[in-house]
Amino acid sequence: MVHALLSDWVPENLDDPELRPVLGRDWHRYQAMRHHHVRERFAASRLLLKHVAAQAIQAPPATVELAYKPGGRPYLRGCDQIDISLSHTEELLLVGITRRGWIGVDAELEDRSMLVSGIERQVCTPYERTMLSQVRESDRNQEMVRLWTLKEAYSKAIGQGMRFRFNEFGFGPSGHPVQVLRPDGSPGTGEEWAFGTCRVEGRYTASWALYDAGFGDTDDTRAGTMLDEGLVTALLHQPAEAPQPAAEATAATDVPLTGAGVAA
Amino acid sequence: MITLLNRELGLFLRPEDAGAPLEALPGWDSLLLFRLVAVLEEEAGRPLPVAEVVTAGSLAEIHALAVGL
Repeated sequence: MVHALLSDWVPENLDDPELRPVLGRDWHRYQAMRHHHVRERFAASRLLLKHVAAQAIQAPPATVELAYKPGGRPYLRGCDQIDISLSHTEELLLVGITRRGWIGVDAELEDRSMLVSGIERQVCTPYERTMLSQVRESDRNQEMVRLWTLKEAYSKAIGQGMRFRFNEFGFGPSGHPVQVLRPDGSPGTGEEWAFGTCRVEGRYTASWALYDAGFGDTDDTRAGTMLDEGLVTALLHQPAEAPQPAAEATAATDVPLTGAGVAA
Repeated sequence: MITLLNRELGLFLRPEDAGAPLEALPGWDSLLLFRLVAVLEEEAGRPLPVAEVVTAGSLAEIHALAVGL
């Protein structure tokens, strides 16, 4: 998990044409955004994500191609063995990256008001609502933030977003091993899933969910070895008569990883 | 609905934001979506089809679900 501050990654000029090759397929989506702060956040988060992924696969950031699965889950096109996740809130950017299986990450301000009217019913299982009622009132909101970020992280990891209702799966109290629980509090996942929560930058709660698909571990995540073999074969053996795509510029914005920190 | 959201959720949305993708709204995030559902259910006095609301692409689509279009 890698975190950074938004201000360290916002491009000086949001209309810089150099951003186009870096944002790649996201360019038109980015161009359609009208609000300045939304564009800042979008550009900065994608830049960080691409640079983190580039470090992992030892390739230039501009060659890292982000794509999205139905439902919006981002992935590295052509690098199916690596999974990524992105979260941003306030001034914090958070990236999760793994070669083990699936990952989801989420962050929130630790004092964000969560216990507002109607939210618990939408977000918590019956077991969690009972559990929260037993937490000291001064700690209850912070516990709710922890539950929320775990739910977001898990739903991102499984690629469901909020289509998997947040009040249909849950987590147990802090201070105990973390696993997904059914609405009645019985276990819902096994040892293939790992979860964690930590404090970042002194004021954010960040959680991660990691599914170990049994791929094993490897230190070699270079693009040359992680690229999907089928895709490489298709790219290298195009029929001569096939139309060639227009060459695209591949100039990278050389944004250093300064300001990014490894959180877990 | 824009007025309701600005008042209840502390947002600064404009009428023209109704048709914009949710991700393009300033300050928008998934928690606000749940808060929006709670506000609309209270206003309408009946439950909303949450499964459809969470996959809606814009406030206009959510409004249509809320008024039962």
